[in-house]
Amino acid sequence: MAFKELELNMGPQHPSTHGVLRLKLAVDNEVVLRIEPIVGYLHRGLEKLWENQSYVQGVPLTDRLDYLASLSNNLAFVLAVEKLAGIVVPKRAQYIRVILAELQRLASHLAWAGFMANDIGAVSVLLYGFEAREAIMDIFEEYAGSRLTVHGIRVGGVVEDLDDRVTGLIRGALLEIPKRVRDIQILLSENRIWKQRTAGIGAISAAQALEYGLTGPALRASGVRRDLRRDIPYSSYEDFDFEIPLGARGDIYDRYQVRIEEIFQSLRIVAQALDNLPPGEIRARLPRVLKIPPAEVFQTIEAPKGELGFFMKSNGTDKPERVKMKAPSFVNLQSLELMCKGNLFSDVVGILGSLDVVLGEVDK
Amino acid sequence: MTSPFIIDFLIPVGKIAAVIFYPMVMVIVMIWLERRVVGLIQRRLGPNRVGFQGILQPLADAMKLFFKEDILPERADRLLFNTAPILVMFSSLLAFCFVPLGEPVRIGAYELKLWVAESPVGLLLVLGLSSIGVFGVIFGGWASNSKYPLMGALRSVVQVLSYEIPVGLTCLSVVFIARSMDLVEIVRRQETAGVWYGFLLPVSFVVFWISAVAETNRAPFDLPEAESELVAGYHTEYSGMKFAYFYIAEYTHMVLVASLVVVLFFGGWLPPFPSVRALRFLHAVPGFLWYLAKIMFFLYLYVWMRATFPRYRFDSLIKLVWKWLIPLSLVNLLVVAVLSYVL
Amino acid sequence: MSKLRAFLRKFFLWDMLQGLWVTLRYYFSPKVTVEYPEKVQPVPARFKGILRLFRNDQGKPLCVACKMCQNICPTDCFDIEGERPAGARRMRPTKYDWKLGRCTFCGLCVEICPTDAIRFSPEFRMSSVDKERLFFRLPEMYLQGEELQKKFCGCDQP
Repeated sequence: MAFKELELNMGPQHPSTHGVLRLKLAVDNEVVLRIEPIVGYLHRGLEKLWENQSYVQGVPLTDRLDYLASLSNNLAFVLAVEKLAGIVVPKRAQYIRVILAELQRLASHLAWAGFMANDIGAVSVLLYGFEAREAIMDIFEEYAGSRLTVHGIRVGGVVEDLDDRVTGLIRGALLEIPKRVRDIQILLSENRIWKQRTAGIGAISAAQALEYGLTGPALRASGVRRDLRRDIPYSSYEDFDFEIPLGARGDIYDRYQVRIEEIFQSLRIVAQALDNLPPGEIRARLPRVLKIPPAEVFQTIEAPKGELGFFMKSNGTDKPERVKMKAPSFVNLQSLELMCKGNLFSDVVGILGSLDVVLGEVDK
Repeated sequence: MTSPFIIDFLIPVGKIAAVIFYPMVMVIVMIWLERRVVGLIQRRLGPNRVGFQGILQPLADAMKLFFKEDILPERADRLLFNTAPILVMFSSLLAFCFVPLGEPVRIGAYELKLWVAESPVGLLLVLGLSSIGVFGVIFGGWASNSKYPLMGALRSVVQVLSYEIPVGLTCLSVVFIARSMDLVEIVRRQETAGVWYGFLLPVSFVVFWISAVAETNRAPFDLPEAESELVAGYHTEYSGMKFAYFYIAEYTHMVLVASLVVVLFFGGWLPPFPSVRALRFLHAVPGFLWYLAKIMFFLYLYVWMRATFPRYRFDSLIKLVWKWLIPLSLVNLLVVAVLSYVL
Repeated sequence: MSKLRAFLRKFFLWDMLQGLWVTLRYYFSPKVTVEYPEKVQPVPARFKGILRLFRNDQGKPLCVACKMCQNICPTDCFDIEGERPAGARRMRPTKYDWKLGRCTFCGLCVEICPTDAIRFSPEFRMSSVDKERLFFRLPEMYLQGEELQKKFCGCDQP
């Protein structure tokens, strides 16, 4: 049977690998036997760079990890630094961080929906998703000045306060985005071609998902109720009321549905945070040079892609001794082979899309 | 005007030139239409810089392809590689000879027929000639000497061959009612019947349309050439003018299919309600313009479907035709036969 | 009854028709493209355009060559030297080199500057065909608008 195998290469340059990812596949008559992801094409040596920058200087570098959700990266890094140093963040800053993080989750999921639909053929959904994302990028532009690499969450708080203009834009987005998402749902969720391409494909059971270390919406689609915003609340998430969408079968369709539901839940959280915004400072007072006594900490957050974690070790100076990042896309990519085995070659693109892999955080 | 030189030589040559010219013009319009309409559906402007509203964009595309390097892969089969684009183009263009574009025009004492040839089996000839294009696809995929084009070509061939069957069966249902395979006759029968066959045979029309879209490898059935799956299917290794040939041939096939739908199901050159006395004034508009309007609607429908639907996976495609469309068209044929005998 | 409804919907391609209706609605909706360069969208107040040095109301430069921006820049864009001129109360920069090619627009220098001398400007037209032109010296750090564009392209058109 070995000579019936065809070895294919979806090279680093490919319209659907969502970045520079190389996939080595062994197919037998269109059925995938083995798939091996080869990463490292976007490696920039960030973990070493962080050792040579101070804690405050290291935050802009985190923007470039998962470049579709930069504020979440900021948040994870900054929470780790604050835990190390014992900095207490004012309540108002925590609420604004929640607003920014949830808006970023919206933006990430909308971009993901667009790219996945584009890979499967529905080309208009890409543009609709990105148009909805524009509303959020405009909010970030008004708030911090940047659209993509925002650097809005800094050590001790957030960069600016929410003024009326930004609040107005956020409220406008809260009305606009559900309409667009509903249109996307009509075009995708109920479409028979979409269901044929996604239902039952790439299924992974809850036990297997836990074994492979899958996190984020992919894990929740397999039925495991694990969301770090509930289990290990950070930045005042315990004050908010939201549901955690779960799937049943763990196939592509469930992962898609979970993320669409998460969009609606994020909108809920943002509305609650805006309504209950406490007054106060937006940044804690920091010393001129932030030196942290020796300690170790591992801080995780629920990023849009999954569980994003930073292990930080300080050594008394103003630069960290070691920073190690646990990227959700890197860990999720391991389960690609399990999901793709036995499926057709055309499904690989769909499965890779549903895992929501961004090479920036895989390769650091 | 009635000299043999003109009637036997100039006019046929003129018609042949028209048969090559008319699809090319439609292709150019189609290229512009596709990019512009897909853009407008996606809430952005399509090409609008090159010429008024982007109308010269196809010209810019053609010039770009003209100046590109003509690549021949190292171990490609030279003869087949070069023949493939010609075959695809040739088959689509040839089938246009039998398509009637409008009512015969009176010039003095001579009646100018707006079709190159009329044959009692015109429909069969059109279907047969357009199927020659499959050879071009096989040659292109095989001769490229590369994995991806080969897979794309094989998929495309299976798809086209499978979808020929519902096309044939639904055409047969039209033939049943019209009692003729001559395309001109079919239009004339719709005139005497007073109603377009699309309203008499809605199931036939829908099945024919779906199968025809699949035949032309267009969305949602465009897996063989989908960008994100196999780069570009059987024409991956082609560049420059040869790729332009494949590109134009695909659009020509689309225009041919749209013409076929219009002639068989939508009355060809007839205005709506052709035999109603009160709407006689609609006949003042030349048949050719009615025909063009109907073709434009179906070309719009092609682009609209492309912008909306995801792609069928290959096995779902084949399941769809063998499990649903072919039984449906057989049942439809039976029902039409029984009803046309009874009524 | 609902099974019959589901079958009829499937047979008459109801979900496909719904999808076509959505795209038809979008076809007739206003388009969001901003036709640049004829129309330019205004940028927000906090927009992170190119970094510029500013002077105070009396026309004196605000920069006091404290080098805090140089120390905090994560990508080492600055090279500053200063001296206090005889009889003046404040230091002035004698050399202020800034590399646009390295800037990540993080805003740390803007935040930390004690005199608010370096700030973002609304200028986003920063393209050039020559890497040399992305290197700014002290007098060039005060250029704005069309003068700045001339520096980028070295010609009279932006």
